Amino acid sequence: MLDRRQFLKLGGAAAFATLFGGCEKTRKQIIPFVLPPENQVLGEALWYASACGQCPAGCGVVVRVSEGRAKKIEGNPLHPVNRGRLCARGQAALQALYHQERLSGPMKASGPRGSGNWQPVSWEEALSLLMTRLKNVRAEAPASLLMLTEPMRGHEGLVAGRFMKAFGSPHRVAWDPFGRDALLAACEAVHGVRDLPEYDIANARYLLSFSGDFLETWVSPVHYAEAYGRMRGSRETVRGKFLHFGPRLSMTAASADRYLQIAPGTEGVVALGISHVAIRDGLTPPAAAAGNLMAAGLSAYSPEAVEKRTGVRASDLARAAKEFFGNQPGLAIGGTACGSGAAGVFNHAAVELLNALSGSAGLPGGVSFPDRSRAYARYGAERSLLAPPPESGYAAVRDAAGKMRKGTFRMAILAGSSNPAFTLPPAMKFAEALSNVPFAVAFASFLDETSSLADLVLPVPTPMETWGDDIAPVGHGGAVTLRQPVVEPFRDARSMADVLLAAAAELGGESARALPWKSMRDCIEKNYDGPGERLEKALRDGGVFPSDAAPLRAMRKGAVLPPKAPREAAGAVDPGKYPLALHLYPSTALYDGRGANLPWLQELPDPLTTAMWRNWVELNPKTAERMGLADGDGVTIASPHGKITAHVAFNPGLAPDVAAMPTGQGHSRYGRAAVGRGENPFSLLPEAPEGGASGLALQAGRVALEKTALPTRLVRFAHPEGQWKLSNLM
Amino acid sequence: MKHKWAMAIDLDRCTGCGACVAACVAENNIPTVGEAEAGMGRLMQWIRVARYWDEEHAGANAVYLPVLCMQCERAPCETVCPVYATYHNDDGLNAMAYNRCVGTRYCANNCPYSVRVFNWRDHVWEKPLDEQLSPDLSVRSRGVMEKCTFCIQRIRRAKEAAAAEKRPIRDGEVAPACVQTCPPGALLFGDIEDPDSEISRKLSDPRRFRLMEHLGTEPRVWYLKRRKGAGL
Ligand code: SF4
Ligand code: SF4
Repeated sequence: MLDRRQFLKLGGAAAFATLFGGCEKTRKQIIPFVLPPENQVLGEALWYASACGQCPAGCGVVVRVSEGRAKKIEGNPLHPVNRGRLCARGQAALQALYHQERLSGPMKASGPRGSGNWQPVSWEEALSLLMTRLKNVRAEAPASLLMLTEPMRGHEGLVAGRFMKAFGSPHRVAWDPFGRDALLAACEAVHGVRDLPEYDIANARYLLSFSGDFLETWVSPVHYAEAYGRMRGSRETVRGKFLHFGPRLSMTAASADRYLQIAPGTEGVVALGISHVAIRDGLTPPAAAAGNLMAAGLSAYSPEAVEKRTGVRASDLARAAKEFFGNQPGLAIGGTACGSGAAGVFNHAAVELLNALSGSAGLPGGVSFPDRSRAYARYGAERSLLAPPPESGYAAVRDAAGKMRKGTFRMAILAGSSNPAFTLPPAMKFAEALSNVPFAVAFASFLDETSSLADLVLPVPTPMETWGDDIAPVGHGGAVTLRQPVVEPFRDARSMADVLLAAAAELGGESARALPWKSMRDCIEKNYDGPGERLEKALRDGGVFPSDAAPLRAMRKGAVLPPKAPREAAGAVDPGKYPLALHLYPSTALYDGRGANLPWLQELPDPLTTAMWRNWVELNPKTAERMGLADGDGVTIASPHGKITAHVAFNPGLAPDVAAMPTGQGHSRYGRAAVGRGENPFSLLPEAPEGGASGLALQAGRVALEKTALPTRLVRFAHPEGQWKLSNLM
Repeated sequence: MKHKWAMAIDLDRCTGCGACVAACVAENNIPTVGEAEAGMGRLMQWIRVARYWDEEHAGANAVYLPVLCMQCERAPCETVCPVYATYHNDDGLNAMAYNRCVGTRYCANNCPYSVRVFNWRDHVWEKPLDEQLSPDLSVRSRGVMEKCTFCIQRIRRAKEAAAAEKRPIRDGEVAPACVQTCPPGALLFGDIEDPDSEISRKLSDPRRFRLMEHLGTEPRVWYLKRRKGAGL
């Protein structure tokens, strides 16, 4: 095994010394078991900075490395996104690094594709197979190459984008099941900027959340949770107040001062009701007051009318308006559920209208749009390859699936954690569509539902073993995060970017010209090295953190109109046959399912239900009682599009007549920790997004439940101290 | 230099996210037990985030309470151990000498906070998952009791760093893994022997309380009640 010093030389990695200096001075190894803890001597360790890759938030990490092995991941205290903090998922990346089922070398499918039979091959053979195919395709029909990945950022995205362009194929598709399409569209409509907004929670005095999930998953959970902590308790005289509207009592809702239940999908109606009161009672600051809002449709949202549709009492709406507009700076934030389904854009736009009327937009404690692309300004139009908008890519995937079926593609390159074969609605028949592509190569660390469908699987390093750079979607402050290998690659893996760079060099011509780097390491070194020790400092710190704040993108000034309510989708599902509204939400531990193969995450009790290792369907106890269902019962959940089973878990704060399920369980491939833990809720979703929004309709479908005997049991975290009185805690 | 380590848990900031649990598992070589054992109540996690349903107030809500070893000054677990495996150290921490533990489980019975976990079996870290194990502390074997140590190895690391630089430990230099990671900063750790430390100042807040104060265990873990704002 390499020792650290050798590793430093070979890998070019730079230790994160700023705050953890002095570790090296500690004494040598020990055998701890025989001594009481005070007398134990600790081993040597160093910390290296890098970037988390467990979700799209882009937190900065530092990794403790001892004897060449990664031992612990913590947040990078210098990083503006997470300021030293990290979520459970980020910490569990260690288990992916040392996972027993991690692919250790390239594999070729033996027998029919997808059968699960593999034959190990050498990298040499694998690459020659890949190159033969690539060369043939390029010679005969370059546009028949498909690249389907998760959204890629930084130079990795540039490499992939340029590779496809130089190759001559326009078919580069990125899929993210939790893409923020509706929020992007709403921000464009209301603020005139098509980007993710930055909500300055830390400096807000008042927070209105509309099915917000910013403390648990969403765009940047650690960033927003850290800011939330400061909003609550870091100011001398102000404790920011937090009101949550939504159909489900979620982890985020539980932190609110008051959780007000609403009918599912009515987030936008509630928000317009609050605006209505504000205009009617003259609560908005005069500069932001837009007199013709009422005439433009807001008059229909009187508190009484809104009460009828949403279930929120008119008096509560009026109070909320008074408090929100009387306690600026304040923020209105819509979450995942708010932006899904036909009403997604309408909901988000109604919420953003509150931010526009508040008068705090662009100010501390308000909403703003720090310019992400400044870091990559030198790339001009190619900037969007390095900092793409966080869209779902749903329409493009659907289009690609259709083309697969028609035989348009001769070859597919698959990569990333968004696992389309698992996260796409079953009606899209992704696996079947892919079977029409003669050759598929997957870049993956694990065999999941998607990589299992390939002819050739090439193992990739985990984020802790790669070179790269990134700019986070929010909270970046203009900073670029750098990723460096913090341990010697533990498996014989090569990153997709490295393979593409090598392939481009071999393809020659336009490809080689577009991608002049030998490897990602070379690319990073060329891009970030400058006079002095610039690169080394950046690697040590974990990124390039500019001292000045990123410039804000100009937001629309002047009159904004209330969004138009979406028309009822034609052929709506019959509520008689499907009596419950379906509400899917990203699992706190497993996200879209990418965490399901890690035992640490499987064994993390869910914040609401305390369930582990298996999925469930949440019901309001009253609804369950009416249906003759008890907590823990097995049920079949049927939608017009699919049918799955799960155990009932009571959520007393869930709206009646709603069935809520976390995504993430239900894998058929993805290793022992993931397989056999229930069925996949994504398979309940319709193919076509119902109405205008283009992402998955996570909160728009309907289902019917039927009691079903299941051989399994839903394990909950025991509550040994159940006798303590709550009033002692609050 | 005497220290009196203590933790403050601000319930007004805790969101129930579970990052502390994951941090603890990673730091302290804590095994996962799997679905079946978890179903028997044999989770090995040293910190739990208990979820209470709040039905006393209007509407249903969830309230989170992170619970870990309270590091009681008058620890009821210590007096019942026949072999002195669990004892008080110089910093006033309730420590475990695993190699002395004979597995009577008296201590766990006598702990009013139910924070002790028992190794009902030898846990396996399938290769190469064991590469992650920290060399700073042992993997406990079957028949041994374990629990939160306030990350004693991290305290030692800070002491060694301070000793090497011939200076006292700085306020904020030591943080158990849970405190280090807690995204909203609900957890705070420090030395209450030092009247100027952040935790000493934090504990002057009238919201403070300790769990089951009436038992006289004198926990070193303090809680700060949730606050309620005016209005809606
Ligand atoms: S929020 Fe996402 S990027 Fe940040 S630590 Fe968690 S998984 Fe990693
Ligand atoms: S990490 Fe902090 S906020 Fe999350 S559950 Fe633990 S104490 Fe609460």
